[in-house]
Amino acid sequence: MIKLCKELYAYREMIFSLVRKDLRGRYKGSVLGFLWTFINPLFQLIIYTIAFSFILPSAIEKYYLYLFVALIPWIFFSSSLQGGANSVMASQNLVTKIYFPREILPISYVTSCFVNMLLTFIIIFLVVAVSGVGMNLQAIFCLPVIMLIEYMIALGLALLFSAVTVFFRDMEHILSIITMAWIYMTPVLYPIETISNSEIQKLFYLNPMTSVIVAYRDILYYAKVPDFSTLLIALFFGVTSLILGELVFSRLKKRFAEVM
Amino acid sequence: MTNPENAIEVKNVRKKFRIFYDKSNDLKDRILFRNRNHYEDRWVLNGISFSVKKGEAIGLIGHNGCGKSTTLKLLTKILYPDEGSIAMQGRVSSLIELGAGFHPDMTGRENIYTNASIFGLTRKEIQKRIEEIIEFSELEEFIDNPVRTYSSGMYMRLAFSVAINVDANILLIDEILAVGDANFQKKCFDKLREIKSRGTTIVIVSHALGQIEQICETSYWIENGLIRESGIPKIVHDHYLKHMEDKRTEQLEKQHEQPVLPAPELPGFCEKTAVRMGTQQVIFTNAELRNLNNQKQYIFDTEQEIKIFLQYHAEHPVNLKGNFGYGIFREDGLHCYGTNILIETGDYIPIQENGEIEITFRNFLLPARYFLDIAVHSHDGIIYDDIRQVLSFVISSKKQDIGVCRLPSEFSWR
Repeated sequence: MIKLCKELYAYREMIFSLVRKDLRGRYKGSVLGFLWTFINPLFQLIIYTIAFSFILPSAIEKYYLYLFVALIPWIFFSSSLQGGANSVMASQNLVTKIYFPREILPISYVTSCFVNMLLTFIIIFLVVAVSGVGMNLQAIFCLPVIMLIEYMIALGLALLFSAVTVFFRDMEHILSIITMAWIYMTPVLYPIETISNSEIQKLFYLNPMTSVIVAYRDILYYAKVPDFSTLLIALFFGVTSLILGELVFSRLKKRFAEVM
Repeated sequence: MTNPENAIEVKNVRKKFRIFYDKSNDLKDRILFRNRNHYEDRWVLNGISFSVKKGEAIGLIGHNGCGKSTTLKLLTKILYPDEGSIAMQGRVSSLIELGAGFHPDMTGRENIYTNASIFGLTRKEIQKRIEEIIEFSELEEFIDNPVRTYSSGMYMRLAFSVAINVDANILLIDEILAVGDANFQKKCFDKLREIKSRGTTIVIVSHALGQIEQICETSYWIENGLIRESGIPKIVHDHYLKHMEDKRTEQLEKQHEQPVLPAPELPGFCEKTAVRMGTQQVIFTNAELRNLNNQKQYIFDTEQEIKIFLQYHAEHPVNLKGNFGYGIFREDGLHCYGTNILIETGDYIPIQENGEIEITFRNFLLPARYFLDIAVHSHDGIIYDDIRQVLSFVISSKKQDIGVCRLPSEFSWR
């Protein structure tokens, strides 16, 4: 484990350069280029505002913001999961031809999604400021913590599924169905309070993303410090997912080049 | 690592590949045909052991599919052995896949960063080397253009320059010295020698046996996943070539259902270790070394005249034109000299039914044991007869000068 960390540190430039390549390559050739990173979420927000104000009004006050502060972290998670699962397969030509710590592939994919989310947060802050919800400084300090925890969960699952996908290609398609369902099992589109039965509500907290989304919303929408227990549950899932992911990954990675 | 002087130790390594008759990784097949055994284990390596000392260069040779590339991939840690162990000391760089991770839309300079980072270099280390890399690639003018605008030769040059400037302790090379034009190839080769002289351990897999002979101390001939022979490259390669030639003849015989070529036998004038190849349309019937008085002799002094006397026989000499040549190798495989009639006179010579060739030269080689190779080729390159190590001879000298050959020197002083 320590050996792996040392090696990853030695290869840090590779992670940076893959992240850079991914971020830059994403909008390569388009006129607005990198600006799309901001334009995309901005228009997403505008559309939600119109949709949920006029077409499908919601009982929740400022529903567009309510949705937006949960949706952006969710998009980070779901794209990390789906793209991350494919990250080893996508770099087939590297894996079969050259040595480097294989963990770099899911790490750099998840990291580039993470950086993308961070950039989108500029828009979130703008909207939060404009909408007049206001910011709680103490709560904002919790933001990096929950981001880091979400990163751990996403990376752990990306490690797990990227390794499994190499041996079992159907995983990619199964995952896209899972993520489709997962968003409804997580209080992204609705408040957790909608689930009136408190027993079932507890069941929802078995979903690692529930506490994460609840925490984000507490910080950004309600402008309050999230419950300590919420953070603790999230942290538990983060650590578990990372350990499980790396355990599976390190067992399977030796045979990657053979089955690709 | 049992011996601290070793850079690489490979012990009893075995590797198998699972060959699927009908490869499918999808769910349906997995569930439906759970117990159906539709794969087979194929052992590619059957217990290979060798060690390489720090600063040593070795070559791995063998026909396609013999396991040499698998061995290299195991050393690179792309694959892992099923049995046995591999220990390596120091940073490993591989010239197996050149240009791994190149992005066509990025500039040459950006790609140097990406590519070098894959070899585990940090940004600082890359910055320190970038000028050297660009200079070596000879792409100064184009380095800030996107790589997609490069020709394939330029692309390979850039990739090679990055890989070879990594400053590894162990360098693994698979068939790469076919990069760019002749000039650049020479440059790569010189660079390789320079790297070696700085103490880098090198492992080369190649079909270009000559290149291995020039740079490696030891050659390993791998066949059917086992080391069949190892030792001085030149000698191992001669045996390997002979073996390949035999196999080719065998195949031809099978095709024609009758022996096309009589297996070349070794006549009395040859050394016992000699290796014979060729179609045998023209055959050497005698080979001798003589002094200028036409007496047989096998020990010469440095700076003595030596005459190679050859006799040959051709079954159907009509209109045959040929090229006769010889080569001299030192006992340790060093290629000392070689030439032929075409080089010396600019033309081929007509082949008689029975003919004699005399080659006279002044010997400048220093004391050692040497081997003579002789060959006759057709004007279009068909090998009629080629006998490696047909004769051995010894050079002696009273003078104490050292090296490969004497460069008659005059000292003057004022």
